Amino acid sequence: MTATATTPRVPADSRGPRASRVGRVTGSPVLRLVVKRLLMAIPIMLGVTVLTFWVLSLIPGNAAQQLLGPEATPEDIALLEQQLGLDKPGVVRYLEWLQGAVTGDLGQSIVSRQPVSEILSQRLPVTGEIVLLAFVVSLVLAIPVALLAAHKPDGVMDRISMVVSTLGLSVANYVLALLLVLVFAVTLGWLPAIGFVPLEDGLWPNLRSMILPSAAIGLPLFCFYTRFLRGDLVDQMQQEEYVTTARAKGVGSWSVLIKHAFRNSSFGLITIVGLNLGALIGGTVIIEQIFALPGIGQMLLQAINTRDFVVVQAAVVIFALVAVLANLIVDLLYAVLDPRIRYGSS
Amino acid sequence: MKQRTILSLLTAAALALTACGGGSDSGTGGSASGSGAPAGEPQQGGELTVLEDAAFAGSWPAGLDPATNTTGGSNIAMMQAIFGGLFLLTADEDGSNAEVTGNQAESYEFSEDGLTFTVKLREGIEFSDGTPLDAEAVRFNWERDLANPCTCKPTWPLAEGGIQVIDPLTIQLSFTRPYPAVLASFPAANVNWIASPAALEAQGEDAFKITPVGAGPFTVVENQLSSALELERNESYFKEGQPYLDRLTFQSIGGDQPAYQALQAGQAQAYEGLNTTPLLEQAQANDQLQVTIQPATSPYVVQLNTKIAPFDDVRAREAIYRATDFDAINEGIFGGNYDVSQGFTGPGGLFYEETVEGYPEFDLDRAKELVQELGGLTVRLGTISNYVATQINTALQTQWQEAGIDVEIADYQLSGVIQEFTGGQWQAMLQTAGAWDPAAGVGVGFRFNSGVPYSGVADPTLDQLLSDASATLDEQQRADLYRQAAELIAENFYAPFGLAFAPANIAAVGVHGPGLTTKIPPILVNAGVIWDEVWREQ
Repeated sequence: MTATATTPRVPADSRGPRASRVGRVTGSPVLRLVVKRLLMAIPIMLGVTVLTFWVLSLIPGNAAQQLLGPEATPEDIALLEQQLGLDKPGVVRYLEWLQGAVTGDLGQSIVSRQPVSEILSQRLPVTGEIVLLAFVVSLVLAIPVALLAAHKPDGVMDRISMVVSTLGLSVANYVLALLLVLVFAVTLGWLPAIGFVPLEDGLWPNLRSMILPSAAIGLPLFCFYTRFLRGDLVDQMQQEEYVTTARAKGVGSWSVLIKHAFRNSSFGLITIVGLNLGALIGGTVIIEQIFALPGIGQMLLQAINTRDFVVVQAAVVIFALVAVLANLIVDLLYAVLDPRIRYGSS
Repeated sequence: MKQRTILSLLTAAALALTACGGGSDSGTGGSASGSGAPAGEPQQGGELTVLEDAAFAGSWPAGLDPATNTTGGSNIAMMQAIFGGLFLLTADEDGSNAEVTGNQAESYEFSEDGLTFTVKLREGIEFSDGTPLDAEAVRFNWERDLANPCTCKPTWPLAEGGIQVIDPLTIQLSFTRPYPAVLASFPAANVNWIASPAALEAQGEDAFKITPVGAGPFTVVENQLSSALELERNESYFKEGQPYLDRLTFQSIGGDQPAYQALQAGQAQAYEGLNTTPLLEQAQANDQLQVTIQPATSPYVVQLNTKIAPFDDVRAREAIYRATDFDAINEGIFGGNYDVSQGFTGPGGLFYEETVEGYPEFDLDRAKELVQELGGLTVRLGTISNYVATQINTALQTQWQEAGIDVEIADYQLSGVIQEFTGGQWQAMLQTAGAWDPAAGVGVGFRFNSGVPYSGVADPTLDQLLSDASATLDEQQRADLYRQAAELIAENFYAPFGLAFAPANIAAVGVHGPGLTTKIPPILVNAGVIWDEVWREQ
């Protein structure tokens, strides 16, 4: 039996524990949410690809002009445009690309003639690892620091965290990247300054090559998350009635903070983390350049420079897909954190 | 390029910190600083990681097939390492006596009338796939090069059926007019790099551009386009005992600052093409690094568009000459590290003249007088987005403003520069002019010939002088013609020349090699490092 927005909801208890679990997994509200969001993703992705294509067409020069450089004759440019298929109208090129993309064929790079799927398979794991580690770095640091700061507002920890966070937010990630290299690679010699070691060559060598890039992206996020979470926690602790009730019942201040206030504040944090994902991926573009990492960001920059719209489109599709999925996961996490939330119910 | 701009700005901010960070820095000049340090006997073995700027030499998006690598002129290092080259530009350690010498070519010969150029190949050279590098292979490559649109496609004035195989080791080019510049154009052109026809056929074009096969000192192990190229020693290389290195890796990196830090951290042993002056000064003071500033061949020039206002008026052009003081820019911004040219060749190039007769010198009072006479002068000055060019443009803006000229400056990506030129409405553009041989590569004609869209000049006399110079075999006669051309440019105030800038190569102590730790004039931008002679102290 499935519960929908129009059918009365059956209390979970009356169906027994197993039925309840199964209902949670296969029950239509969650499934409907997932299906609905994935369907909504289609026009979003289409819009994104159309916009990307349009923006690229506004940039002066095309791949042929860019590749041949200023010494090229108009005849050379025309010949290369013909070879690369750039002499066709923009709409035709877009539709050809779209036709392939919906069948899973993202095409070939205009410039290198490599299959885009092959390029992505080489580069996606690098960027994925940076982003994942940056999230881990930022959240693992931000949550305890924000809890410590919120436990005693204006206390020593709060002030220290504020100074550190303000500093971190004031420094751009590429400046931070160079400073981290200066300290940990040049001066101390603990970590590599550049390069990527694949996971196949060992977990520790791989992690060593990723620590500085991930930290360069993750530390500013840590500062932001810390300030955000700390502010929300302090609001909860000072203004919410449930906190007063819990305290009146004799619940300890740490317990109130962690078990009650943090649970509520985590909604805001999750939302911010989901929204930040796009910026996080964007941050990899310059970080991958500095650390000489063969990731999607480096690929995107090169593709924009050479006006390789097929590769740019693929990268943008990936970014958009990640953003859509991240928002979906955030919505699902709301339901996990607060059982009162039931998507699709009236 | 935007990325590069950000990194350049960032460079300035991080310099002070970096200076403190290099534990090995010293205040005294412990570096080789431009001259090849005594190298001793070359040693076999070892690996070398060379960093290349992602915005230039570290970008090979179209792969490394000589016929289709549209950025071959900036990827000379990789192409030379894989293909070796028919000819090389060699020089004494201090960069003097530079000449094009045979490498895979044993010898060459011009006919007396300059209409044919015959190349004799060395016997017994094989590609790394075991097939012979002979005249047929060269013909196959040259015809393929000519059929492909590419920046480095030969611009030979080739006669009908102008490529002829004379015998298995001899090939001849026939021209419609004398073309002595063909020799000088080889070292940086795709025609210099001969690929294995058999490997090309076996792999197919798309795969070959990723894993090309040549007869050079190294073979490709892995190639991630515009990211990293791993090479290993070619065991069948035709020079006995060479190359010295076992492995050579080219790593693309996002600019001078990250590259410098990677060198300091010991993760790479060389960087080609450093042009951020403050970093250059730091590198010169670092006793763990060797700095080799290459002899400049292409000076900066302020191109003036004489076809439209305001520079269709000779008084406006003279005002720019009189308001421009490149000596002050050299001293103030670049520490006096470079020479200032009055013509289209730098001190490292052929036919360089230290002074040009009648060259209009800096004269601020005269500039003010001319601006007043014109009733004011407003100029848009553009350039390409790179550190040196934008620094010079800012300085020029300040100098010209002192003469009462209103100046608006702009910097563009390559596509923007092209658009400005082809649009024809540009007024002044800071560019580089010339090449090692003014008739080869992006030579002087590129900036001054009437028929070229990137020229601001339309002067039949100048066209004739440049054409005659490029078609003359006699060196002295060529020098005379180029001298006359430089004087004509000065006399008509067509374009003030300036800083003869050349990037520097940085190498860790213990690395040696021609072009890397000794000077070789850059044919285009970077010097052609001779990789089979590069070695590391073990």
